[in-house]
Amino acid sequence: MGKQEEWGFKENHELHAAAGFTIRNILESIIGNIDQKRSGKPMIHLGHGDPSIYPCFRTSVSVEDALVESIRSANFNCYPSGIGIDPARSALAEYLSKDLPYNITNDDVFLTAGANHGIEVLLTVLARPGANILFPRPNYPIYEARARFSEIEVRHFDLLPDKGWEVDLDGVKALADKNTLGIVVINPGNPCGNVFTFDHMKKIAETARELGILVIADEVYAHLVFGEKPFIPMGVLGDIAPVLTLGSLSKRWIVPGWRFGWIAINDPTRILQQTGVVASIKSCLTISADPPTVIQGAIPSVIKNTPQSFFLNINKLLKEASDLFYEKVKEIPLVTCPHRPEGSMFAMVKLNMPAFEDVVDDTDFCMKMAKEESVVVLPGDVVGLKNWVRVSIGTEPKVLEDAIGRMKVFCLKHAKH
Amino acid sequence: MEMENNGSPLTKKWGFRANPDLNMASDNTVRGVLYMLLSKLNRSDTRPVIPLGHGDPSAFPCFRTTQVAEDAMVDSIRSAKFNGYGPTVGILPARSAVAEYLSQDLPNKLSPDDVFLTLGCKQAIQTIVTVLTNPKANILLPKPGFPYYEAIAKSCNLEVRHFDLLPEKDWEVDLDSVNALADENTVAMVIINPGNPCGNVFTHQHLKKVAETAKKLGILIISDEVYAHLVFGKNPFVPMAVFASIAPIITLGSISKRWIVPGWCLGWLVINDPNGILKEHGIIDCITAYLNISSDTPTFIQGAIPDILSKTKEDFFVKIVSIVKEAANICYEGIKDIPGVICPTKPEGSMFVMVKLDLSVFEDIKDDVEFCVKLAQEESILILPGISVGLNNWLRVTFAIELSALEEGIKRLNAFCVRHSKKP
Repeated sequence: MGKQEEWGFKENHELHAAAGFTIRNILESIIGNIDQKRSGKPMIHLGHGDPSIYPCFRTSVSVEDALVESIRSANFNCYPSGIGIDPARSALAEYLSKDLPYNITNDDVFLTAGANHGIEVLLTVLARPGANILFPRPNYPIYEARARFSEIEVRHFDLLPDKGWEVDLDGVKALADKNTLGIVVINPGNPCGNVFTFDHMKKIAETARELGILVIADEVYAHLVFGEKPFIPMGVLGDIAPVLTLGSLSKRWIVPGWRFGWIAINDPTRILQQTGVVASIKSCLTISADPPTVIQGAIPSVIKNTPQSFFLNINKLLKEASDLFYEKVKEIPLVTCPHRPEGSMFAMVKLNMPAFEDVVDDTDFCMKMAKEESVVVLPGDVVGLKNWVRVSIGTEPKVLEDAIGRMKVFCLKHAKH
Repeated sequence: MEMENNGSPLTKKWGFRANPDLNMASDNTVRGVLYMLLSKLNRSDTRPVIPLGHGDPSAFPCFRTTQVAEDAMVDSIRSAKFNGYGPTVGILPARSAVAEYLSQDLPNKLSPDDVFLTLGCKQAIQTIVTVLTNPKANILLPKPGFPYYEAIAKSCNLEVRHFDLLPEKDWEVDLDSVNALADENTVAMVIINPGNPCGNVFTHQHLKKVAETAKKLGILIISDEVYAHLVFGKNPFVPMAVFASIAPIITLGSISKRWIVPGWCLGWLVINDPNGILKEHGIIDCITAYLNISSDTPTFIQGAIPDILSKTKEDFFVKIVSIVKEAANICYEGIKDIPGVICPTKPEGSMFVMVKLDLSVFEDIKDDVEFCVKLAQEESILILPGISVGLNNWLRVTFAIELSALEEGIKRLNAFCVRHSKKP
């Protein structure tokens, strides 16, 4: 074989290793296992937090109007600018300031192509040789994929199921060392569906300060709370330890397909500015891909004109779904939901593996249930808790009820006798 | 004021740091350089700024996109069918539409599986450069070129080697330099056609030679065709994929330029590889893996693609091309009369032309950066210094703007050059 037959390119192995186990990958194989002919039932997808397909969850018409207006104006067909256009940043700064004891300005808000992009930016900026970062277990696995890709060492602290999925702060302190750069907290919680109390968040902030690390507060599910606890942004405690907040339009406005989000700097003492981290975030955004200008143009109107009634209705639906879910799951043998979901769109359900006849683990559970019942849930292994499953309750309540019914059928069929 | 990273009380106390490599990389992008020039503008100059620095005429009414495209977007939004997550590679109707659209110019039909939708062509570039990165690998980029490739390669730690485009040969690729630069670690070469920054359009014959060179060297070709069909000279646009049976071609494109909507960020990365070489080498899987951990182009924009691509009328394209052609002419003819600047080749595609500076003409201008900074300060014109694209003491001039603004720009440029010329 001459040189003509040899090609000099090959795949990037590091990339492959980093991107191996994402939610999307795993869901694709599970959905691939669905056998509609066999189950005779339509698919119910409880594997991801995307209720936009259900009419009752349709986004507010004022949101659609805002985007249509942005397009028709022909003012936003131009190149995006890296950190985002001023009107959008200002509108978001004002919106976010409502829940803070201090005001943030448009200089503290940077637009991203969704929270995933925000995660990409923050981890790219903060990566340096020898550094490590603290992630919760269970977690949203894009964090691990991106950290691996940027070569940041990952250390996991536990969220405690018996304590409402609170952070194991002793665990955090034991893991951190002088090379630790930050801690990620997701509130309201994905995948656990929990909401932190103010006291607990204060302890997290104080721990971060003590350890000399920043907090990445993933608040993609901000305001999606329907239990006893209110939503409090971590930025409220930004003067204790610097907070980088990730937010997005996707969940509160039910438009995950818009891929629009932001990074907010919640750091009244300006440490992130002084250490140059903010400048690095801006530089990273200049190089990376942007959220379309045409969406940025709609933001002021989206923020201003979405009626409160829309938000109240979404939370009402989530509460209905959550209550239904929690009560009905109690009736299913072999599974337990230790903590009633109170925020976000998810619940973690524990599988009692020894009680199953022929299901070996959570992935097997999900694959078989997809095949036999056409119900899709996410194996907990993907989020860091083997032999649990993550269920999306961001679903029309009747559909959710149907799904839980089928889960019960499945469990009963596969139980040891 | 930023503090030093080493030894300051702040660094001792906190475990996080800035990332100075990112700052450097971003400063050298077109965007970064234009920011710098923008900051030099004279605030008290009431004349409108003439933007001859970036490839974005969307602000001008004569360049407004077709109503068909706007309608397609609005329909997509109002359907409420596209507010949810889509597959990482893009929704099937959009991928099929792009496959069909591109296949019109190719001998073989593309499959939707060959098409990956990206968040603008930027993400397509990010994707392919990251996928091809490996320790020891190197990539061949054109000089002059589009500096975003350099920025992304640098951020990936992928070694860059530059081959020349030859101004005396209509900016053709210097294939001898390509042959000399490539070694066993070379993974790919990038060509941009129609050319940014040179405004050239490669001939069928030349593209075939490029393909044959790539095959001989065992490398793939990344063909950046973001300006596809924006041609108005003697050479027709020939997609590189026409030669895909010779060497694997990865075509990058988007709707940004042909439809004048860079703010919609809808691009694509298309595999043209009938011999299945890329698949065999794991490149396709790797592309999917990268897109899996990256953001996507919004689903509703994808939802509009089938209508945008199939329903846009020919007369919209004809209109845009004719304005750009006339602008190219005004620019080329106008520059002939300006001292100190020489345009060696008439542009025949894209939105740009490379113009050489004859610094000996000027009294007090020592290089292209100084030229552009002073031009911004004194005449409120933004032009990109050639150093940004790899050719010192040249300029990259955007001619694709509204014609009266362009004429005004040429007038002011002339005044500037005359004013700074050495007195006899």
